[in-house]
Amino acid sequence: MMGQYEARFPTDRRYAKKNHTWAQRSEGRGAWRFGFSAYAVRLLQDVYFLDWQVEEGVNVTEGQEIGFIESKKAESDLYAPMTGRLVRFNGELLDDPSTINVDNYGAGWLFEIEGDGQNLMTPEEYLAHLESVWEVTQRTIKGQMNE
Amino acid sequence: MTKRISVVLSQGQSRNPEKRKLEEDLVAALIMESGVDVTVVPHLYDLTPDGTGMLALRNIGGDAVILSWLYPRAARWVLDRNNIRGQEGISLLKGLGEGDEDDEDLEDELEDEADDDKDRVADSRPNPPRKIYCLDLRAYDDANTYVEEIRRIVRENGTPLVQLTGWLGGKPKNGEAMQRFLEPTNDTHLGAARETGRRDAGGNGEPAPEAPPVVRIEENAGRRWYPVIDYSRCTNCMECIDFCLFGVYGVDNVETILVEQPDNCRKGCPACSRVCPENAIIFPQH
Ligand code: SF4
Ligand code: SF4
Repeated sequence: MMGQYEARFPTDRRYAKKNHTWAQRSEGRGAWRFGFSAYAVRLLQDVYFLDWQVEEGVNVTEGQEIGFIESKKAESDLYAPMTGRLVRFNGELLDDPSTINVDNYGAGWLFEIEGDGQNLMTPEEYLAHLESVWEVTQRTIKGQMNE
Repeated sequence: MTKRISVVLSQGQSRNPEKRKLEEDLVAALIMESGVDVTVVPHLYDLTPDGTGMLALRNIGGDAVILSWLYPRAARWVLDRNNIRGQEGISLLKGLGEGDEDDEDLEDELEDEADDDKDRVADSRPNPPRKIYCLDLRAYDDANTYVEEIRRIVRENGTPLVQLTGWLGGKPKNGEAMQRFLEPTNDTHLGAARETGRRDAGGNGEPAPEAPPVVRIEENAGRRWYPVIDYSRCTNCMECIDFCLFGVYGVDNVETILVEQPDNCRKGCPACSRVCPENAIIFPQH
């Protein structure tokens, strides 16, 4: 569905609609761990730099600006995918953000937020959502190729 | 004898290969220049006050050019906070976002400075006579522009100038500090690495055959986040110290405001920068 690019969307987790992140309950804790979906990584390509604008332990609301990312294809602010307490950032990424490209569903996770996660989508819902915005996506990707 | 100048390249935080290439192109070009010593340090803003990076910078006593991924104003006041001081060297390069069409901004700024009847902290604080030039690596993509400007700076400082002694009017309290200002002793520091380099070439400006005079300093203390005070604007009004709940600000022994506990600062807060009536508080990463 991603043109010539293969994209994996594991079904053992949920997805946040707006900023294309996956979410998975971290074991033994009430927090959701977030990372970029294959779709987001496809759009970003190589990640060069990542920084967070809030401290661990603060409450964030969905849509709040929490960080910044620089990649081969984009410089962009990052927003909280859900409301809750942001308990942990993946500190390793500050030194080496390329882990996001190598293992976006595993070691390249971004942060953990404590909260109910009721606005998160199932993989099916997420794929349906991607289909619905597919036209925009195609334009974006084509735009990149024509650069 | 030609004066030597120290060029400090402060690396960016990003792994963007284009930015890394600019840094390495600069180092490669600068080691070929006579009269230039090159020191490479991590991102200036992240250096800790007692780390090897700042130590090396403090040991540079003479004229210096600082190349960093920061606004020159931010770089200058980060250095100032770490006791690395000097006269502000004026670069002829345009800063980031300082196109011709921005002349208006420039005028605004000049006006700001003109209607200046307020006492700024910097007015009562003499700087040593050596010059510090801060250049912003975000402003141009090609190494050559910076190399040309550094050559110009070397020429500018190679010619003996009439000493600007106006700053002496301020009556320094401490004779010893004054002596340090007047006779910086950098030549004896960072020795080993450099003595094997070009300095052995008999002072005739010819490069020695091997061991290029580059000192590379690694330091990984992680990212930092704290306010930086621009003392050319600060009036010591104390709004910030009253406002901050986290004890970041303090005063020195002559009751001048300073960032005392930088690491207490809350990431992303920058509320104090909005309460400062003089716009003197800088968050370089914001
Ligand atoms: S609020 Fe601004 S002008 Fe006042 S002391 Fe603080 S930095 Fe200086
Ligand atoms: S940003 Fe906030 S925590 Fe940091 S010094 Fe200013 S008021 Fe204090």
